[in-house]
Amino acid sequence: MGRVIVVTSGKGGVGKTTTSASISVGLALKGYTVAVIDFDVGLRNLDLMMGCEKNIVHDFLNVAKNQASITQALIADKWVKNLYILASSQTGNKDDLTTQGVSKVIDALKKAGFDFIICDSPAGIEKGAKLALHYADEAIVITNPEITSVRDADRILGVIQDTSKRSKENKSPVLEHLVLTRYQPTKVKNGEMLAVDKIVTMLDIPLLGVVPEAEQVLSAINSGRPVILDKGTDVSEAYKDIVARLLGEDCQQRFLTEPKKGFFSRIFK
Amino acid sequence: MSQAINLQETVFSVTVLNILSDDIEQVKSEINQHIKKNYSLFTGKSVVIEPKIELNDPVFLALLVEFLYQLEIIPVAIRTQNEKIKLQAEYAGLAVFSEAFDKTKIEDEKIFDQTLSIKTALIINNVRSGQHIYAKNRDLIVMGYVNPGAEVIADGNVHIYGKILGKVFAGASGLKQAKIFANNLNPEMLSIAGRYQLSGKINKNYKQCFVEVSLDSESSSIKYRKVLWDE
Ligand SMILES: Nc1ncnc2c1ncn2[C@@H]1O[C@H](COP(=O)(O)OP(=O)(O)OP(=O)(O)O)[C@@H](O)[C@H]1O
Ligand SMILES: [Mg+2]
Repeated sequence: MGRVIVVTSGKGGVGKTTTSASISVGLALKGYTVAVIDFDVGLRNLDLMMGCEKNIVHDFLNVAKNQASITQALIADKWVKNLYILASSQTGNKDDLTTQGVSKVIDALKKAGFDFIICDSPAGIEKGAKLALHYADEAIVITNPEITSVRDADRILGVIQDTSKRSKENKSPVLEHLVLTRYQPTKVKNGEMLAVDKIVTMLDIPLLGVVPEAEQVLSAINSGRPVILDKGTDVSEAYKDIVARLLGEDCQQRFLTEPKKGFFSRIFK
Repeated sequence: MSQAINLQETVFSVTVLNILSDDIEQVKSEINQHIKKNYSLFTGKSVVIEPKIELNDPVFLALLVEFLYQLEIIPVAIRTQNEKIKLQAEYAGLAVFSEAFDKTKIEDEKIFDQTLSIKTALIINNVRSGQHIYAKNRDLIVMGYVNPGAEVIADGNVHIYGKILGKVFAGASGLKQAKIFANNLNPEMLSIAGRYQLSGKINKNYKQCFVEVSLDSESSSIKYRKVLWDE
């Protein structure tokens, strides 16, 4: 049975789309079939990050509104096989998205046999975010190491508990995972940012992984190539770990402390 | 003459007094009329004042608070986003709430009132920011945290095993004997039977131990008692 995973946060701009893109690619690289859906109707982002913005003929809203079939709308990813993108519509109205429409899309993807269905949620706790989490079996909650985003993460966890389909049907609760992005151990050390263990204590959900802050994320976004495809960078390694943990592998947390100084910087100190 | 006030009941046995006119005499006379019509609706209760208009008269709030005290109505707080009114509230000795306090705004509220044989509602999870738990006609036990921005409300006693960082209401329908039991107390607000206390007023000696919070039967003020097991 396909796993439906929502990537959500409450607060905007914390790294939901970056994370959705990278874990989708990571899972596909491991051989699983993956569909990733951009729920941010009116603000296309995912297609730009995946570099497929020129290939959109039909979008998520078209399928939800019966204007196109799911096979017409799924775009094959250009980086890895087994990965398909359901882009969001830039022209559509967010209010056109309904529970029935979303249900139709998710059911069709499940029936098509996808192993993973990743839902990239819009920010906020309003209708759009609620629709994105409604059918989720699991939630990846993204936060940054600062108090407002942690508070909003707490808020969205409450919304998941209260409004997801699983909770309404009294099924086993949505499985929660925490991903902390844009982590800067040096700032944590200086007391300018919240430490990872403090955040885990506040939110009290299992930590899926920590992604360090890095400049190459922005350039990866601008070139339309998910950052997990970079070779040997901390950020790509961090996302690979996250994918491995999602698949049940037990790998130790990394990138929690300042990187050790390299050979040259030690010599030239 | 247009209306100067209206009243709104909330779940917290607190009445919200909406102020629709800044003419203090008109407000006073309408409050008097309300009391004549329904004495118990108002008197002896706590109210939250919510101005729906600008208050241009700088002493309006002070006069209103004074007037309410004479009627045995206890104004505990004001709800406003307006900076000028906040300043007035400070002079009048009122706490300021900026969040909604309205029953109708509580979405997805969980009400425990199904099986009459069970006298306690048990919450195993953490209660998170934005969540409201209401144990109607019963006690409430929360095993997890009450996070900042969360509200747990019971008509009876409230027992909380995790950290209390949000708002807790015991005796929400007026039961003065209701108590709160806490292990780690750092709330945004506590209330028993409509009496309030904000976090800043709580002695830090009571924050990190097992503590019983109750109403003093004489002064009706909130009091704290450390519970020691081995004496
Ligand atoms: N690990 C990182 N290091 C540095 N910058 C990052 C990192 N992760 C994300 N960012 C930056 O944060 C910004 C927001 O990222 P992203 O669009 O993924 O967030 P979002 O949560 O999807 O936003 P929205 O709420 O608008 O959908 C981007 O400009 C991205 O470059
Ligand atoms: Mg996004």
